[in-house]
Amino acid sequence: MTGVLGATLGLALVLGACGDGSSSGDGSGTGGAKSATIAIAADPLEYINPLNENGSPGIQIAMAMWAPLVTTDPNTGKTVNVLAESVTPDRTSQTWTVKLKPGHTFQNGQPLTAKDYVDSWNLTAQGSTAWDNNGFFSKVEGYEALNPPTPEGATPKPTSVKTLSGLKLVDELTFTVKLKVPFSQFGLTLQYLGLAPLPEEVRKNPDAYKRKPIGNGPYKLAADWNPGDDIKLAKWDGYKGPNPPEADALTYRFIPNADTAYNEFLAGTVDFVDVPSTKIKTFKTDAPDQWVTAESSGANYLVIPAWDQRFKNPKLRHAFSMAIDRKAYGDLVGLATPANGLIAPDINGYRADACKYCTFDATKAKQLLQEAGGFSGPVNINYNTSSATGQIFAEAIGNMLRQNLGLEVKYTGKQGSEIGELADTRKLDGLRFSGWGHDYPSIEDYLTPMFKSTGDANFSGYSNPALDQVLAKGDSEPDPDKAIKLYQEAEDIALEDMPLIPLIHKQNAYLHSAKIEPRVSKYTGVSALYATFK
Amino acid sequence: MIRFVLRRGLAAIPIGLIVTLGVFALVFAMPGDPLREMAGDKPIPAAVLAAKRAQFHLDQPFIVQYLLSMKDILTGNFGTTFAGADIADQLRLRIPVTLKLTLLANAVQWTLGLFFGIYAGFKRNGLIDRSLLLVTLVLLAVPGLVAYFAAQYVFGVELKWFPVSGVLEGFPRSYLLPALVIGLLGFAGLARLMRTSIVETVNADFVKTARAKGLGEQRVLWRHILPNALLPVVTFIGIDLAGMFGGAIITESIFNLPGLGQFMFQAIKLKEGGVVVLLSTLAFVSFIVINLLVDILYGLLDPRVRNV
Repeated sequence: MTGVLGATLGLALVLGACGDGSSSGDGSGTGGAKSATIAIAADPLEYINPLNENGSPGIQIAMAMWAPLVTTDPNTGKTVNVLAESVTPDRTSQTWTVKLKPGHTFQNGQPLTAKDYVDSWNLTAQGSTAWDNNGFFSKVEGYEALNPPTPEGATPKPTSVKTLSGLKLVDELTFTVKLKVPFSQFGLTLQYLGLAPLPEEVRKNPDAYKRKPIGNGPYKLAADWNPGDDIKLAKWDGYKGPNPPEADALTYRFIPNADTAYNEFLAGTVDFVDVPSTKIKTFKTDAPDQWVTAESSGANYLVIPAWDQRFKNPKLRHAFSMAIDRKAYGDLVGLATPANGLIAPDINGYRADACKYCTFDATKAKQLLQEAGGFSGPVNINYNTSSATGQIFAEAIGNMLRQNLGLEVKYTGKQGSEIGELADTRKLDGLRFSGWGHDYPSIEDYLTPMFKSTGDANFSGYSNPALDQVLAKGDSEPDPDKAIKLYQEAEDIALEDMPLIPLIHKQNAYLHSAKIEPRVSKYTGVSALYATFK
Repeated sequence: MIRFVLRRGLAAIPIGLIVTLGVFALVFAMPGDPLREMAGDKPIPAAVLAAKRAQFHLDQPFIVQYLLSMKDILTGNFGTTFAGADIADQLRLRIPVTLKLTLLANAVQWTLGLFFGIYAGFKRNGLIDRSLLLVTLVLLAVPGLVAYFAAQYVFGVELKWFPVSGVLEGFPRSYLLPALVIGLLGFAGLARLMRTSIVETVNADFVKTARAKGLGEQRVLWRHILPNALLPVVTFIGIDLAGMFGGAIITESIFNLPGLGQFMFQAIKLKEGGVVVLLSTLAFVSFIVINLLVDILYGLLDPRVRNV
């Protein structure tokens, strides 16, 4: 499990500042012409079902076995169609029409139709199915009917309503999605692999297909996949979509201990591995010319509790922000750049100068603290004990607040889930760390979840009707450029109120063997799946 | 003999209940919420959370959860883990892995420990004895965690003598390195115990008496010294094997061996009370059986305890 971000920043795509030279060395995992072994530092998957996966490992496999409706072009950052012929909003962006290209099939030979999408999505939107991507459909009309509130301790029963009223079949290849409210970014969200369809035989009995997935993408299972086996994939020649990856065969090897996975790479048994946080200082010398780094698509924040009156004055929050030396903090974390806004740098609509209070200035910080009337009592900083570095990073921030603002600081270590629970019930005392990576590449996916009053990742309990209104305007603005302007306006409000203090954008580092060159894109990050072979 | 075994078996039942209840209470008292922990920073819809809670009985009070877990264990109906793994499948897969590792590690430990311990005990203050004291002192001072990673790096990554991790190369190749490290670390304590025990026995009065009676050196060694010197070592077996499972949790995680230890590690990480109790029960039953065997062996070595 990663630290602050949790394991499920699955789709935290990454943006590349490539640092790769000519390769040397002998790393080569498997034989074969174009085959590669990719290490995943996580517990092995127990099933393959994209609709019930929102963690990175599961989505990585889904990316190989399924094809999305649309995707982000790695060269231009524009959304392009894959299985979709067209995705068209109506005038208000509330009803969307998805038309599929003809001639695509599942790996069992069945034609891929609009009904496959509608039925798979209905199954996932049904609360009692208890699949991880249920929440995605909360924007669709009729979601509540399938997810009635369940009293504490009661078992959710399957509802009599089995279908989202907002999903309508038009013909064999066309369906419409009616949303509860206008949402101009909906088209972008369709690239998420967690929305991939299942064929009818799987939908009837998902459990029977837990280890025999039937996809519709470039790769299929190459061998029986029993508990404890690596996942071996082979190219599926039935895939007719655009830009299939180059590899003929892929092996995904699960190695739960990240340091062990790294050592496996150094021994030459895997072709691609993530650099764990413990090796940030040494990976460039451990594997010279065989590493790439990429700006992580996401950001890390310090969360200020809106339920604590002592933090009420925005000037105090600005003082906290200006007392933090982000450069020094980033150096401590390693492979990180100071954040100067709430949005990840690779997102369309990112502004490098968005934040007025994110520069380190101890004098100004003290002055703001005075204007805010000071702070009573010690500041408590909560950190996650299941991360090896949680305490060190918390103390770094704490020391800056103590030295630059003269505040008393204390620290509390707890399990991540416990911090989350206390924050959800508005009982958490003091500051906490959080991280966010988008599920779909839109500036909106940073603002709605964290800053909208009803946002489902609103860790700070922040609520500002003015911001909610601007977001709603952006959601109903069909013109993309105008929508981005509105979202930037919302970001400005959030930065002025500062319920979250932006800290850093982390970079990710990866090692790759001499025989492959991972795809590095400014928009979609580093991909082993789309590596080129030398 | 039969009665002895039955009595021991019956006595194990209340202890087993207390142990499992205690373990379950410990897991239950651990902070955090497993389903949230799995989700990381991504929000889970309320309906999904409620459905999963109901599926794993997490919405029930502590004692009900415990009884349901015990019922599952006793009826052999293990169900799935939070992550969706079939627990019976996992056990089938993992028990052999842990057995292979433990047996190999023990073979290393006992061969080396007994041989060097006995030799050093008889040839006191010789070169072997002196070096053994030094080597075991160093080994006892090395923390396991450091030794495992260092061995993995030196022999797996740099020298490539052994696979770095995993069980892809099968038995024994995949198990050799971790077993050697565990065996060597465990050998130190055993060798020292054996040596001390031999030294004490050699100087005991009954040995002098035996020699004075004019018994041959061989007979003194096999009939008088070794059986008595082995007594404390036999006791050590039981305790040592119990510790093996604890060690397996760390070793299997570092060497990525899909055994029970790794399973336990994942289960504790995710607060899977049912799995932790199941594995604890397995460990407890093995412990009871091993100790029963140890006591029977003790009786063979020492007539005095046969009728206790």
